[in-house]
Amino acid sequence: MVPDLSWYLALSAVLFTIGVVGVIIKRNVIAMFMCIELMLNAVNLTFVAFSSFFQDVTGQLFVFIVMTVAAAEAAVGLGIIIAIFRNRESLDVDDASILRL
Amino acid sequence: MLALLFILFAGLAIGSAIAVVAQRNPLYSAISLIGVFVSLACLYVMLAAPFIAAVQLIVYAGAIMVLVVFVIMLLNVEEEERRRPRLKFLVPAAVFMAAILIAEATFIIYSVKSAGAPTVSASNTGLTAAIGAGLFTKYLLPFEVTSILLLMAIVGAMTLARRSRTLTPTIGVVPGAQVVAMDILRPGSAENLTPVESDTSAEAASLLGVETYKEPKDEGNHGA
Amino acid sequence: MDLTVSIVLYFVAITIAFLTIMLLCAFTVLAERRVLAFLQGRLGPNRVGYGGLLQPFADFIKTMVKEDLIPDQSTRFVFLLAPMIAIVTAIMAILVYPFGPTITIPFVEWTIPLVIARFDVGLLYVLGVTSVGVYGIMLAGWSSNNKYSLMGGLRASAQMISYELSLGMSLVGVVLIAGTLDIYSIVEQQSGWGGLRWNIFFQPVGFIIYLISAIAETNRVPFDLPEAETELVAGFHTEYSSIKFLLFFNAEYINMITVSMLATSLFLGGWQGPFVNQFPLLGVFYFFIKIAFFLFLYIWLRGTLPRFRFDQLMNFGWKFLIPVAILNIVVTATLALFDWL
Repeated sequence: MVPDLSWYLALSAVLFTIGVVGVIIKRNVIAMFMCIELMLNAVNLTFVAFSSFFQDVTGQLFVFIVMTVAAAEAAVGLGIIIAIFRNRESLDVDDASILRL
Repeated sequence: MLALLFILFAGLAIGSAIAVVAQRNPLYSAISLIGVFVSLACLYVMLAAPFIAAVQLIVYAGAIMVLVVFVIMLLNVEEEERRRPRLKFLVPAAVFMAAILIAEATFIIYSVKSAGAPTVSASNTGLTAAIGAGLFTKYLLPFEVTSILLLMAIVGAMTLARRSRTLTPTIGVVPGAQVVAMDILRPGSAENLTPVESDTSAEAASLLGVETYKEPKDEGNHGA
Repeated sequence: MDLTVSIVLYFVAITIAFLTIMLLCAFTVLAERRVLAFLQGRLGPNRVGYGGLLQPFADFIKTMVKEDLIPDQSTRFVFLLAPMIAIVTAIMAILVYPFGPTITIPFVEWTIPLVIARFDVGLLYVLGVTSVGVYGIMLAGWSSNNKYSLMGGLRASAQMISYELSLGMSLVGVVLIAGTLDIYSIVEQQSGWGGLRWNIFFQPVGFIIYLISAIAETNRVPFDLPEAETELVAGFHTEYSSIKFLLFFNAEYINMITVSMLATSLFLGGWQGPFVNQFPLLGVFYFFIKIAFFLFLYIWLRGTLPRFRFDQLMNFGWKFLIPVAILNIVVTATLALFDWL
């Protein structure tokens, strides 16, 4: 049996769902950020699967751009996390739920 | 053969993804996420996209996760402690809705599958030349915009990491002083940031509080 | 050739290359001790075999029977994982290097290129594997639960990720000249003109930048502050003993070897040399001669130069090497645009 397009799409859906569950469940801000990266990767897998099954390079180019955006987001997001940690001494998202310290 | 490889890598990816969510220690989550990225890179190779697989390894597993692991180590993040969920009725509701979502997704995937499915063949699409050709001709505008986005990210990260109003030229990278981590967390609280001279014994003597070390007399005859 | 034959050939090739690399690593350790000793005016270990040739095996047996300590409060899984990551990523990099030209086995008339796996993005694969190898050091430093290990590990990984950038950028010039990322093709394109088509003549600045970045990547003198400044407490592998320490130690030398392989394949023409067309197996000999030259260069630098301070190291990497590498790319691209390269 050769893996079909639907297999890759199903795997991508499962990974995306696990990422969504992680963002909702986790209270640590860095762990939530990692689950967001997991969701982005699930979408990347969908793009690459479509691009290879339909012989179109557009999907892989989009993945390239998504990876760049994810890298930029990681840099700025972790900077924000460090800045929050400096002020609040805790990485728990529930402690950052009100706007004052 | 290909199906076996797919099941192997997909199983690794799903197992590592569940570990990302289930682990309480954020460092173990980060290591599991690296496992997800590596198995996804293997899947990209199976999909005849070697360039994207290599870029995934370099960018995601080799740069972004290094940044995340650095932050976890520097901030010394503790484990999440178990806490009783406050709204207990939400858990079965979530499971029920997840089951509906999976049923819908399975239905959609299998109804799409019945239309003639294409196959992966060894083609030129995933090669570096094809990606380069697309990136620099048809998709030149997103490429240039991405460069501006990265510039914005660099400026943003530097602005967020600033300690005070003005950008101080030395961010406290002082050799031998283990105050770097403290300085990131609580700026200005480090005790002694004067740079240590690299090789003066007089400096060491003054730090240790002993009498000054005297240089031995130079004979002058050190050979040719 | 059908599937099973090619799979068997892959296994044979991997086994041969793995054994070669491990033997080369063992003798590099010995060579380092002897050559460093001669540079310092003394003899090295020369008693164990003829001229000390069995010394690495004696060291191996000694290390194996040492006590295997795991610190009490450390995170055990990560502590055990870190040397595995270091050694696996170090050895994985040898997959794409051509050890010699295509040989023809006479009786069965097979033509086999002497490279384990040849794929389109070989150079990017090497860079990716090197990037993942940083984790071995970071996780080792953190999981030892020892603040000297942590600082040593963080400094080593900060240095490694800083010099990865100039490493990659110095290789872009070679890729521009060759037009492909496949290392076998890059080596093949350096043939002709009696050896004057080696990329070191077309990319001298790129070669120097690559060499400096490679020495910084592998944490060797003069960039070995993370493992020698705290040598009094031994850096990120303080708490490791026995086989795990041997894995780190060997991973460093295998990194040196793979980086030298990349330098010879991309800049010195790989297996090219006189009379290679008539005797293809002579190419393998030339390849190892060139690797030995680079390893000797590494050991020579270790015996000669003092080491950088950490902030000098980071300044040099970010403020000097990366702009020079970018300038190299711009000049090479301009020359390639006008077809002068």
